[in-house]
Amino acid sequence: MNTLEIKDLHVSVEEKEILKGVNLTVHENEIHALMGPNGNGKSTLLAAIMGHPKYQVTSGSIVYNGQNVLEMSVDARSRAGLFLAMQYPQEIPGVTNSDFLRAAINARREEPISLFQFIKGMEKTIKDLEMKEDLAHRFLNEGFSGGEKKRNEIVQMEMLKPSLAMLDEVDSGLDVDALHVVANAIKQLKEETKMSLLVVSHYERFYELIVPEFTHVLVDGKIVLEGDAELARKIDSEGYDWIYKEYDVKPASEAEKRAPVSLGACATSQRVRRKEQK
Amino acid sequence: MRKLSANEEVILTDGYQMLEVDTKEEAQFSFVCRGKSEVFLKVKNAKQITLKTKTEENGELTFLIWNESETPCEFEESHELLKDASLQLSYGEVNQTEASHHLVVDLLEPGAHAQVGSATLTRVKKSFTMSVVSHADHTYGQIDNYGVVLTGGNYFVDATGAIKKGAYASESHQTSCALCFDEGMKANILPRLLIDENDVQASHATSLGSVDEEHMYYMQARGLSPQQCTALISTGYLMPVTRTIQDETLQQELRAELERKIHELCSI
Repeated sequence: MNTLEIKDLHVSVEEKEILKGVNLTVHENEIHALMGPNGNGKSTLLAAIMGHPKYQVTSGSIVYNGQNVLEMSVDARSRAGLFLAMQYPQEIPGVTNSDFLRAAINARREEPISLFQFIKGMEKTIKDLEMKEDLAHRFLNEGFSGGEKKRNEIVQMEMLKPSLAMLDEVDSGLDVDALHVVANAIKQLKEETKMSLLVVSHYERFYELIVPEFTHVLVDGKIVLEGDAELARKIDSEGYDWIYKEYDVKPASEAEKRAPVSLGACATSQRVRRKEQK
Repeated sequence: MRKLSANEEVILTDGYQMLEVDTKEEAQFSFVCRGKSEVFLKVKNAKQITLKTKTEENGELTFLIWNESETPCEFEESHELLKDASLQLSYGEVNQTEASHHLVVDLLEPGAHAQVGSATLTRVKKSFTMSVVSHADHTYGQIDNYGVVLTGGNYFVDATGAIKKGAYASESHQTSCALCFDEGMKANILPRLLIDENDVQASHATSLGSVDEEHMYYMQARGLSPQQCTALISTGYLMPVTRTIQDETLQQELRAELERKIHELCSI
Protein backbone atom coordinates (compact mmCIF):
# COMPACT_ATOMS: atom_id res chain seq x y z
CA MET A 1 0.00 0.00 0.00
CA ASN A 2 1.38 3.42 -1.01
CA THR A 3 1.73 5.63 2.04
CA LEU A 4 3.31 9.04 2.56
CA GLU A 5 4.31 9.77 6.14
CA ILE A 6 5.54 13.17 7.20
CA LYS A 7 6.71 13.61 10.77
CA ASP A 8 7.63 16.83 12.57
CA LEU A 9 8.80 18.48 9.35
CA HIS A 10 10.67 21.75 9.66
CA VAL A 11 11.57 23.59 6.45
CA SER A 12 13.42 26.84 5.91
CA VAL A 13 13.83 29.08 2.91
CA GLU A 14 16.83 31.39 2.95
CA GLU A 15 17.26 30.96 6.72
CA LYS A 16 13.60 31.72 7.43
CA GLU A 17 11.62 28.85 8.95
CA ILE A 18 8.37 28.33 7.04
CA LEU A 19 7.23 24.89 8.23
CA LYS A 20 7.43 24.46 11.98
CA GLY A 21 6.61 20.84 12.64
CA VAL A 22 4.17 19.33 10.12
CA ASN A 23 2.72 15.85 10.64
CA LEU A 24 0.70 14.30 7.85
CA THR A 25 -0.08 10.79 6.62
CA VAL A 26 -1.60 10.11 3.20
CA HIS A 27 -2.66 6.56 2.36
CA GLU A 28 -3.31 5.04 -1.04
CA ASN A 29 -6.45 6.18 -2.85
CA GLU A 30 -7.13 9.01 -0.38
CA ILE A 31 -7.82 12.65 -1.23
CA HIS A 32 -6.44 15.26 1.15
CA ALA A 33 -7.16 18.97 0.91
CA LEU A 34 -4.54 21.35 2.21
CA MET A 35 -5.92 24.75 3.07
CA GLY A 36 -4.65 27.84 4.82
CA PRO A 37 -4.08 31.53 4.28
CA ASN A 38 -1.47 32.67 1.74
CA GLY A 39 2.14 32.54 2.83
CA ASN A 40 1.61 29.98 5.60
CA GLY A 41 3.43 27.02 4.08
CA LYS A 42 1.13 25.05 1.75
CA SER A 43 3.28 25.37 -1.38
CA THR A 44 6.41 25.03 0.76
CA LEU A 45 5.20 21.66 2.02
CA LEU A 46 4.57 20.37 -1.51
CA ALA A 47 7.88 21.73 -2.81
CA ALA A 48 9.75 20.18 0.11
CA ILE A 49 8.16 16.79 -0.58
CA MET A 50 9.20 17.08 -4.24
CA GLY A 51 12.70 18.27 -3.28
CA HIS A 52 13.01 21.82 -4.59
CA PRO A 53 16.64 22.82 -3.86
CA LYS A 54 15.60 26.18 -2.42
CA TYR A 55 13.68 24.52 0.43
CA GLN A 56 15.91 23.22 3.18
CA VAL A 57 14.58 20.53 5.46
CA THR A 58 16.12 21.30 8.84
CA SER A 59 14.52 18.44 10.78
CA GLY A 60 11.81 15.81 10.59
CA SER A 61 11.18 13.05 8.08
CA ILE A 62 9.34 12.28 4.87
CA VAL A 63 8.90 8.60 4.08
CA TYR A 64 7.12 7.20 1.03
CA ASN A 65 6.46 3.48 0.85
CA GLY A 66 9.17 2.90 3.43
CA GLN A 67 11.76 4.90 1.48
CA ASN A 68 13.44 7.94 3.00
CA VAL A 69 12.39 10.62 0.52
CA LEU A 70 14.85 13.16 1.92
CA GLU A 71 17.76 11.04 0.75
CA MET A 72 16.42 10.87 -2.81
CA SER A 73 17.15 13.25 -5.69
CA VAL A 74 14.24 15.13 -7.25
CA ASP A 75 14.14 12.80 -10.24
CA ALA A 76 14.29 9.70 -8.05
CA ARG A 77 11.30 11.02 -6.08
CA SER A 78 9.38 11.41 -9.31
CA ARG A 79 10.29 7.92 -10.45
CA ALA A 80 9.19 6.61 -7.03
CA GLY A 81 5.67 7.82 -7.89
CA LEU A 82 5.50 11.38 -6.56
CA PHE A 83 4.15 14.08 -8.85
CA LEU A 84 3.78 17.82 -8.28
CA ALA A 85 1.52 19.84 -10.56
CA MET A 86 3.21 23.17 -10.07
CA GLN A 87 1.64 26.50 -9.33
CA TYR A 88 3.93 28.20 -11.84
CA PRO A 89 4.95 25.69 -14.52
CA GLN A 90 8.20 26.57 -16.28
CA GLU A 91 8.41 27.50 -19.95
CA ILE A 92 11.22 25.60 -21.63
CA PRO A 93 11.93 26.72 -25.19
CA GLY A 94 13.34 24.22 -27.65
CA VAL A 95 12.02 21.15 -25.81
CA THR A 96 8.77 19.83 -27.25
CA ASN A 97 6.05 18.41 -25.02
CA SER A 98 6.28 15.06 -26.77
CA ASP A 99 10.08 14.74 -26.48
CA PHE A 100 9.86 15.74 -22.84
CA LEU A 101 7.06 13.36 -21.94
CA ARG A 102 8.50 10.46 -23.89
CA ALA A 103 11.83 10.89 -22.11
CA ALA A 104 10.02 11.14 -18.76
CA ILE A 105 8.02 7.97 -19.45
CA ASN A 106 11.13 6.10 -20.58
CA ALA A 107 12.96 7.24 -17.43
CA ARG A 108 10.62 5.01 -15.43
CA ARG A 109 10.60 1.97 -17.74
CA GLU A 110 13.19 -0.65 -18.52
CA GLU A 111 12.17 -0.89 -22.18
CA PRO A 112 11.43 2.38 -24.03
CA ILE A 113 7.78 2.96 -24.88
CA SER A 114 6.97 2.27 -28.52
CA LEU A 115 6.26 5.31 -30.66
CA PHE A 116 2.80 3.94 -31.51
CA GLN A 117 1.86 3.40 -27.88
CA PHE A 118 3.16 6.83 -26.92
CA ILE A 119 1.29 8.65 -29.68
CA LYS A 120 -1.91 6.77 -28.84
CA GLY A 121 -1.60 7.72 -25.17
CA MET A 122 -0.74 11.31 -25.97
CA GLU A 123 -3.69 11.69 -28.33
CA LYS A 124 -6.11 10.31 -25.75
CA THR A 125 -4.74 12.61 -23.05
CA ILE A 126 -4.90 15.68 -25.29
CA LYS A 127 -8.52 14.81 -26.00
CA ASP A 128 -9.32 14.21 -22.31
CA LEU A 129 -7.91 17.60 -21.36
CA GLU A 130 -9.39 19.30 -24.45
CA MET A 131 -6.01 20.72 -25.43
CA LYS A 132 -5.10 21.86 -28.93
CA GLU A 133 -4.08 19.02 -31.22
CA ASP A 134 -0.63 20.46 -31.85
CA LEU A 135 0.29 20.28 -28.14
CA ALA A 136 2.76 17.44 -28.67
CA HIS A 137 4.82 19.51 -31.09
CA ARG A 138 4.75 22.77 -29.16
CA PHE A 139 7.60 23.72 -26.87
CA LEU A 140 7.04 22.92 -23.23
CA ASN A 141 4.62 25.56 -21.88
CA GLU A 142 6.15 28.21 -24.13
CA GLY A 143 3.55 30.82 -25.06
CA PHE A 144 0.82 28.89 -23.21
CA SER A 145 -1.94 30.82 -21.47
CA GLY A 146 -2.23 30.41 -17.69
CA GLY A 147 -5.06 27.92 -18.13
CA GLU A 148 -3.20 25.93 -20.79
CA LYS A 149 -0.18 25.60 -18.51
CA LYS A 150 -2.33 24.21 -15.72
CA ARG A 151 -4.05 21.75 -18.04
CA ASN A 152 -0.65 20.73 -19.38
CA GLU A 153 0.37 19.81 -15.84
CA ILE A 154 -2.58 17.42 -15.76
CA VAL A 155 -1.62 16.09 -19.22
CA GLN A 156 1.77 15.20 -17.75
CA MET A 157 0.14 13.64 -14.70
CA GLU A 158 -2.15 11.51 -16.84
CA MET A 159 0.75 10.34 -19.00
CA LEU A 160 3.11 9.60 -16.09
CA LYS A 161 0.49 7.97 -13.85
CA PRO A 162 1.97 8.79 -10.43
CA SER A 163 0.90 6.97 -7.27
CA LEU A 164 0.71 10.25 -5.31
CA ALA A 165 -0.14 13.50 -7.05
CA MET A 166 0.24 16.86 -5.38
CA LEU A 167 -1.72 19.66 -7.04
CA ASP A 168 -0.59 23.17 -6.15
CA GLU A 169 -3.45 25.53 -7.04
CA VAL A 170 -3.97 23.72 -10.30
CA ASP A 171 -7.44 25.26 -10.50
CA SER A 172 -6.23 28.87 -10.55
CA GLY A 173 -6.35 30.35 -14.02
CA LEU A 174 -8.98 27.88 -15.20
CA ASP A 175 -12.41 28.95 -16.39
CA VAL A 176 -15.48 27.02 -15.24
CA ASP A 177 -15.50 24.66 -18.22
CA ALA A 178 -11.78 23.95 -17.96
CA LEU A 179 -12.19 23.33 -14.23
CA HIS A 180 -14.66 20.54 -15.00
CA VAL A 181 -12.40 19.09 -17.68
CA VAL A 182 -9.44 19.02 -15.29
CA ALA A 183 -11.47 17.62 -12.39
CA ASN A 184 -12.90 14.86 -14.59
CA ALA A 185 -9.43 13.89 -15.83
CA ILE A 186 -8.14 13.74 -12.25
CA LYS A 187 -11.09 11.64 -11.07
CA GLN A 188 -10.79 9.29 -14.02
CA LEU A 189 -7.09 8.74 -13.41
CA LYS A 190 -7.69 8.22 -9.70
CA GLU A 191 -10.32 5.59 -10.45
CA GLU A 192 -7.96 3.87 -12.84
CA THR A 193 -4.78 3.92 -10.76
CA LYS A 194 -5.94 4.36 -7.12
CA MET A 195 -3.48 7.22 -6.78
CA SER A 196 -3.68 9.44 -3.72
CA LEU A 197 -4.04 13.20 -3.97
CA LEU A 198 -2.78 16.08 -1.87
CA VAL A 199 -4.57 19.15 -3.17
CA VAL A 200 -3.93 22.81 -2.45
CA SER A 201 -6.73 25.10 -3.51
CA HIS A 202 -8.44 28.18 -2.15
CA TYR A 203 -11.71 27.38 -3.81
CA GLU A 204 -14.56 25.26 -2.58
CA ARG A 205 -15.75 24.92 -6.20
CA PHE A 206 -12.76 22.70 -6.94
CA TYR A 207 -13.30 20.70 -3.76
CA GLU A 208 -16.92 20.15 -4.79
CA LEU A 209 -15.61 18.38 -7.87
CA ILE A 210 -12.66 16.62 -6.25
CA VAL A 211 -14.24 15.75 -2.93
CA PRO A 212 -11.55 15.47 -0.25
CA GLU A 213 -11.93 12.89 2.49
CA PHE A 214 -9.59 14.85 4.71
CA THR A 215 -9.00 18.57 5.09
CA HIS A 216 -5.93 20.00 6.84
CA VAL A 217 -5.53 23.66 7.71
CA LEU A 218 -1.99 24.98 7.72
CA VAL A 219 -1.41 28.17 9.71
CA ASP A 220 2.03 29.59 10.36
CA GLY A 221 3.80 26.40 9.35
CA LYS A 222 1.71 23.97 11.41
CA ILE A 223 -1.42 21.96 10.78
CA VAL A 224 -3.79 23.47 13.33
CA LEU A 225 -7.03 21.81 12.37
CA GLU A 226 -8.14 18.69 10.56
CA GLY A 227 -11.51 17.56 9.34
CA ASP A 228 -13.41 16.25 6.34
CA ALA A 229 -14.92 17.92 3.25
CA GLU A 230 -17.28 19.87 5.50
CA LEU A 231 -14.32 21.81 6.93
CA ALA A 232 -13.34 22.98 3.43
CA ARG A 233 -16.93 24.17 2.91
CA LYS A 234 -16.96 26.03 6.22
CA ILE A 235 -13.69 27.80 5.43
CA ASP A 236 -15.07 28.78 2.04
CA SER A 237 -18.10 30.45 3.61
CA GLU A 238 -16.59 31.80 6.84
CA GLY A 239 -12.90 32.33 6.13
CA TYR A 240 -10.08 31.66 8.60
CA ASP A 241 -10.81 34.18 11.37
CA TRP A 242 -12.85 31.73 13.45
CA ILE A 243 -9.94 29.29 13.37
CA TYR A 244 -7.50 31.95 14.61
CA LYS A 245 -9.86 32.75 17.51
CA GLU A 246 -10.95 29.24 18.39
CA TYR A 247 -7.49 27.68 18.20
CA ASP A 248 -5.56 30.72 19.36
CA VAL A 249 -3.24 30.90 16.33
CA LYS A 250 -1.98 33.76 14.25
CA PRO A 251 -1.25 33.54 10.53
CA ALA A 252 2.25 34.29 9.32
CA SER A 253 2.11 37.67 7.67
CA GLU A 254 2.53 37.31 3.95
CA ALA A 255 5.97 38.44 2.91
CA GLU A 256 5.79 41.87 1.38
CA LYS A 257 6.75 41.57 -2.23
CA ARG A 258 6.36 45.12 -3.41
CA ALA A 259 8.38 46.20 -6.38
CA PRO A 260 10.46 49.29 -5.75
CA VAL A 261 8.46 52.29 -6.87
CA SER A 262 9.64 55.59 -8.17
CA LEU A 263 7.22 58.31 -7.22
CA GLY A 264 8.68 60.38 -10.00
CA ALA A 265 7.02 58.24 -12.67
CA CYS A 266 3.49 59.30 -13.55
CA ALA A 267 1.99 55.83 -13.94
CA THR A 268 3.41 54.64 -10.64
CA SER A 269 2.31 57.66 -8.65
CA GLN A 270 -1.23 57.34 -10.07
CA ARG A 271 -1.37 53.75 -8.95
CA VAL A 272 -0.16 54.69 -5.49
CA ARG A 273 -2.85 57.37 -5.24
CA ARG A 274 -5.57 54.95 -6.26
CA LYS A 275 -4.48 52.55 -3.56
CA GLU A 276 -4.56 55.31 -1.00
CA GLN A 277 -8.11 56.30 -1.98
CA LYS A 278 -9.29 52.79 -1.22
CA MET B 1 26.77 11.99 -52.74
CA ARG B 2 29.19 13.55 -55.22
CA LYS B 3 32.78 14.23 -54.19
CA LEU B 4 34.03 17.69 -55.10
CA SER B 5 37.43 17.99 -56.70
CA ALA B 6 39.95 20.40 -55.14
CA ASN B 7 39.25 23.50 -57.23
CA GLU B 8 35.79 23.21 -58.59
CA GLU B 9 33.35 25.78 -59.91
CA VAL B 10 29.78 24.63 -59.77
CA ILE B 11 26.82 26.12 -61.59
CA LEU B 12 24.03 24.82 -59.40
CA THR B 13 21.06 23.18 -61.02
CA ASP B 14 17.64 23.51 -59.49
CA GLY B 15 16.78 21.08 -56.70
CA TYR B 16 18.67 19.33 -53.96
CA GLN B 17 22.20 18.00 -54.12
CA MET B 18 24.60 16.34 -51.71
CA LEU B 19 28.28 17.11 -52.07
CA GLU B 20 31.32 15.93 -50.17
CA VAL B 21 34.76 17.36 -49.51
CA ASP B 22 37.48 14.83 -48.76
CA THR B 23 40.95 16.21 -49.27
CA LYS B 24 44.19 16.81 -47.44
CA GLU B 25 45.06 19.76 -49.69
CA GLU B 26 43.87 23.33 -49.57
CA ALA B 27 40.69 23.49 -51.58
CA GLN B 28 38.70 26.21 -53.34
CA PHE B 29 35.12 25.94 -54.43
CA SER B 30 32.72 28.36 -56.00
CA PHE B 31 29.00 28.00 -56.54
CA VAL B 32 26.63 30.02 -58.67
CA CYS B 33 22.89 29.79 -58.06
CA ARG B 34 20.50 31.11 -60.68
CA GLY B 35 17.36 29.24 -59.75
CA LYS B 36 16.28 27.45 -56.59
CA SER B 37 18.91 25.13 -55.14
CA GLU B 38 19.55 23.27 -51.92
CA VAL B 39 23.07 22.09 -51.15
CA PHE B 40 24.21 19.78 -48.39
CA LEU B 41 27.99 20.00 -48.20
CA LYS B 42 29.55 17.38 -45.99
CA VAL B 43 33.15 18.01 -45.03
CA LYS B 44 34.64 14.60 -44.44
CA ASN B 45 38.26 15.70 -44.41
CA ALA B 46 39.80 19.09 -45.06
CA LYS B 47 42.47 21.43 -43.83
CA GLN B 48 41.59 24.73 -45.45
CA ILE B 49 38.58 25.51 -47.57
CA THR B 50 37.97 28.70 -49.52
CA LEU B 51 34.36 28.85 -50.51
CA LYS B 52 32.47 31.37 -52.60
CA THR B 53 28.83 31.50 -53.50
CA LYS B 54 26.96 33.89 -55.75
CA THR B 55 23.19 33.95 -55.77
CA GLU B 56 21.99 35.79 -58.82
CA GLU B 57 18.86 37.86 -59.35
CA ASN B 58 15.79 36.13 -57.86
CA GLY B 59 17.88 33.06 -57.02
CA GLU B 60 17.17 31.07 -53.86
CA LEU B 61 20.04 29.16 -52.32
CA THR B 62 19.95 26.99 -49.22
CA PHE B 63 23.39 25.82 -48.16
CA LEU B 64 24.18 23.57 -45.20
CA ILE B 65 27.82 22.93 -44.33
CA TRP B 66 28.10 19.89 -42.09
CA ASN B 67 31.58 19.48 -40.65
CA GLU B 68 32.72 15.93 -39.97
CA SER B 69 36.39 16.54 -40.67
CA GLU B 70 38.76 14.42 -38.66
CA THR B 71 41.42 17.12 -38.88
CA PRO B 72 41.21 20.78 -37.83
CA CYS B 73 39.83 22.91 -40.62
CA GLU B 74 39.71 26.59 -41.54
CA PHE B 75 36.93 27.99 -43.66
CA GLU B 76 37.34 31.27 -45.59
CA GLU B 77 34.07 32.19 -47.19
CA SER B 78 32.41 34.95 -49.17
CA HIS B 79 28.79 34.94 -50.24
CA GLU B 80 27.30 37.46 -52.65
CA LEU B 81 23.66 38.15 -53.27
CA LEU B 82 22.21 40.13 -56.16
CA LYS B 83 18.77 41.70 -56.62
CA ASP B 84 15.96 39.91 -54.73
CA ALA B 85 18.17 36.88 -54.14
CA SER B 86 17.90 34.86 -50.97
CA LEU B 87 20.43 32.75 -49.11
CA GLN B 88 19.98 30.49 -46.14
CA LEU B 89 23.39 29.46 -44.91
CA SER B 90 23.77 27.04 -42.00
CA TYR B 91 26.61 25.31 -40.22
CA GLY B 92 26.54 22.08 -38.26
CA GLU B 93 29.60 21.86 -36.01
CA VAL B 94 29.11 18.82 -33.82
CA ASN B 95 32.33 16.94 -34.59
CA GLN B 96 35.09 17.16 -32.04
CA THR B 97 37.90 18.66 -34.09
CA GLU B 98 38.82 22.33 -34.16
CA ALA B 99 37.24 24.57 -36.77
CA SER B 100 37.27 28.25 -37.58
CA HIS B 101 34.95 30.06 -39.96
CA HIS B 102 35.59 33.49 -41.42
CA LEU B 103 32.74 34.54 -43.60
CA VAL B 104 31.29 37.62 -45.18
CA VAL B 105 27.84 37.81 -46.70
CA ASP B 106 27.39 40.79 -49.02
CA LEU B 107 23.86 41.90 -49.80
CA LEU B 108 24.84 43.79 -52.92
CA GLU B 109 21.55 44.74 -54.55
CA PRO B 110 18.06 45.77 -53.40
CA GLY B 111 15.82 43.04 -52.00
CA ALA B 112 18.65 40.64 -51.13
CA HIS B 113 17.84 38.49 -48.12
CA ALA B 114 20.24 36.33 -46.07
CA GLN B 115 19.86 34.16 -43.00
CA VAL B 116 22.99 32.72 -41.47
CA GLY B 117 22.84 30.19 -38.66
CA SER B 118 25.07 27.80 -36.80
CA ALA B 119 24.65 24.94 -34.35
CA THR B 120 27.69 23.91 -32.34
CA LEU B 121 28.20 21.19 -29.74
CA THR B 122 31.77 21.19 -28.60
CA ARG B 123 34.50 20.06 -26.29
CA VAL B 124 37.14 21.69 -28.51
CA LYS B 125 37.79 25.10 -30.07
CA LYS B 126 35.18 26.34 -32.54
CA SER B 127 35.22 29.87 -33.81
CA PHE B 128 33.01 31.95 -36.06
CA THR B 129 33.82 35.41 -37.35
CA MET B 130 30.93 36.44 -39.51
CA SER B 131 29.59 39.59 -41.14
CA VAL B 132 26.38 40.19 -42.99
CA VAL B 133 26.63 43.50 -44.83
CA SER B 134 23.78 45.44 -46.42
CA HIS B 135 25.17 47.47 -49.33
CA ALA B 136 21.83 48.26 -50.95
CA ASP B 137 18.36 49.37 -49.89
CA HIS B 138 15.60 47.00 -48.78
CA THR B 139 17.97 44.21 -47.84
CA TYR B 140 17.62 41.86 -44.88
CA GLY B 141 20.28 40.09 -42.85
CA GLN B 142 19.81 37.74 -39.95
CA ILE B 143 22.35 35.81 -37.88
CA ASP B 144 21.45 33.05 -35.39
CA ASN B 145 24.15 31.14 -33.53
CA TYR B 146 23.48 28.44 -30.96
CA GLY B 147 26.29 26.72 -29.09
CA VAL B 148 26.42 24.06 -26.39
CA VAL B 149 29.81 24.21 -24.76
CA LEU B 150 31.06 21.32 -22.65
CA THR B 151 34.21 20.78 -20.59
CA GLY B 152 37.29 21.63 -22.65
CA GLY B 153 35.23 23.57 -25.17
CA ASN B 154 36.20 27.00 -26.42
CA TYR B 155 33.39 28.70 -28.33
CA PHE B 156 34.01 32.04 -30.00
CA VAL B 157 31.53 34.08 -32.01
CA ASP B 158 32.21 37.49 -33.48
CA ALA B 159 29.05 38.41 -35.34
CA THR B 160 28.63 41.69 -37.19
CA GLY B 161 25.56 43.04 -38.85
CA ALA B 162 26.40 46.08 -40.97
CA ILE B 163 24.19 48.50 -42.87
CA LYS B 164 26.14 50.78 -45.21
CA LYS B 165 25.30 54.37 -46.18
CA GLY B 166 22.49 54.36 -48.72
CA ALA B 167 21.09 50.99 -47.68
CA TYR B 168 17.88 52.54 -46.35
CA ALA B 169 14.87 50.39 -45.35
CA SER B 170 17.20 47.52 -44.60
CA GLU B 171 17.17 45.23 -41.57
CA SER B 172 19.94 43.58 -39.61
CA HIS B 173 19.17 41.21 -36.76
CA GLN B 174 21.17 38.72 -34.75
CA THR B 175 20.85 36.28 -31.88
CA SER B 176 23.76 34.35 -30.42
CA CYS B 177 23.36 32.01 -27.48
CA ALA B 178 25.76 29.71 -25.67
CA LEU B 179 24.77 27.12 -23.10
CA CYS B 180 27.61 26.21 -20.78
CA PHE B 181 26.97 23.18 -18.62
CA ASP B 182 30.31 22.41 -17.10
CA GLU B 183 33.31 24.01 -15.56
CA GLY B 184 36.55 24.28 -17.54
CA MET B 185 35.05 25.69 -20.70
CA LYS B 186 35.22 29.06 -22.37
CA ALA B 187 32.62 30.96 -24.39
CA ASN B 188 32.91 34.37 -25.97
CA ILE B 189 30.23 36.12 -27.98
CA LEU B 190 30.79 39.53 -29.51
CA PRO B 191 27.65 40.90 -31.13
CA ARG B 192 28.16 44.01 -33.25
CA LEU B 193 25.87 46.27 -35.21
CA LEU B 194 27.51 48.81 -37.52
CA ILE B 195 24.81 51.10 -38.82
CA ASP B 196 25.54 53.96 -41.20
CA GLU B 197 22.06 54.79 -42.44
CA ASN B 198 18.78 56.07 -41.01
CA ASP B 199 15.42 54.43 -41.61
CA VAL B 200 16.64 50.93 -40.82
CA GLN B 201 15.79 48.22 -38.29
CA ALA B 202 18.46 46.45 -36.31
CA SER B 203 18.57 44.28 -33.21
CA HIS B 204 20.80 41.92 -31.34
CA ALA B 205 20.28 39.45 -28.53
CA THR B 206 22.86 37.42 -26.70
CA SER B 207 22.68 34.96 -23.86
CA LEU B 208 25.48 33.04 -22.31
CA GLY B 209 25.32 30.84 -19.25
CA SER B 210 24.14 27.64 -17.69
CA VAL B 211 20.64 26.20 -17.67
CA ASP B 212 18.13 27.95 -15.46
CA GLU B 213 17.89 26.09 -12.13
CA GLU B 214 14.10 26.24 -12.16
CA HIS B 215 14.08 24.60 -15.60
CA MET B 216 16.27 21.80 -14.29
CA TYR B 217 14.06 21.34 -11.23
CA TYR B 218 10.90 21.27 -13.36
CA MET B 219 12.30 18.61 -15.67
CA GLN B 220 13.79 16.56 -12.84
CA ALA B 221 10.43 16.68 -11.09
CA ARG B 222 9.13 14.59 -13.99
CA GLY B 223 11.76 11.92 -13.47
CA LEU B 224 14.60 13.02 -15.76
CA SER B 225 18.14 12.83 -14.43
CA PRO B 226 20.29 15.99 -14.70
CA GLN B 227 22.14 14.37 -17.64
CA GLN B 228 18.87 13.65 -19.42
CA CYS B 229 17.73 17.26 -18.85
CA THR B 230 21.02 18.51 -20.29
CA ALA B 231 20.64 16.29 -23.33
CA LEU B 232 17.03 17.34 -23.97
CA ILE B 233 17.79 21.04 -23.65
CA SER B 234 20.84 20.69 -25.92
CA THR B 235 18.72 18.85 -28.47
CA GLY B 236 16.22 21.69 -28.46
CA TYR B 237 19.02 24.19 -28.88
CA LEU B 238 20.71 22.54 -31.81
CA MET B 239 18.01 20.64 -33.65
CA PRO B 240 16.73 23.49 -35.88
CA VAL B 241 19.90 23.22 -38.03
CA THR B 242 18.83 19.73 -39.13
CA ARG B 243 15.75 21.24 -40.75
CA THR B 244 17.69 23.59 -43.04
CA ILE B 245 17.34 21.28 -46.04
CA GLN B 246 13.84 20.12 -46.93
CA ASP B 247 14.82 16.54 -47.83
CA GLU B 248 13.21 14.31 -45.18
CA THR B 249 15.72 11.48 -45.39
CA LEU B 250 18.59 13.89 -44.75
CA GLN B 251 16.69 15.54 -41.91
CA GLN B 252 16.18 12.18 -40.23
CA GLU B 253 19.82 11.20 -40.67
CA LEU B 254 21.09 14.48 -39.25
CA ARG B 255 18.62 14.37 -36.39
CA ALA B 256 19.70 10.84 -35.47
CA GLU B 257 23.34 11.81 -35.67
CA LEU B 258 22.86 14.92 -33.58
CA GLU B 259 20.91 12.99 -30.93
CA ARG B 260 23.60 10.33 -30.82
CA LYS B 261 26.33 12.93 -30.37
CA ILE B 262 24.39 14.84 -27.74
CA HIS B 263 23.78 11.68 -25.71
CA GLU B 264 27.38 10.62 -26.13
CA LEU B 265 28.78 13.97 -25.02
CA CYS B 266 26.19 15.13 -22.50
CA SER B 267 26.09 11.83 -20.61
CA ILE B 268 29.77 11.93 -19.77
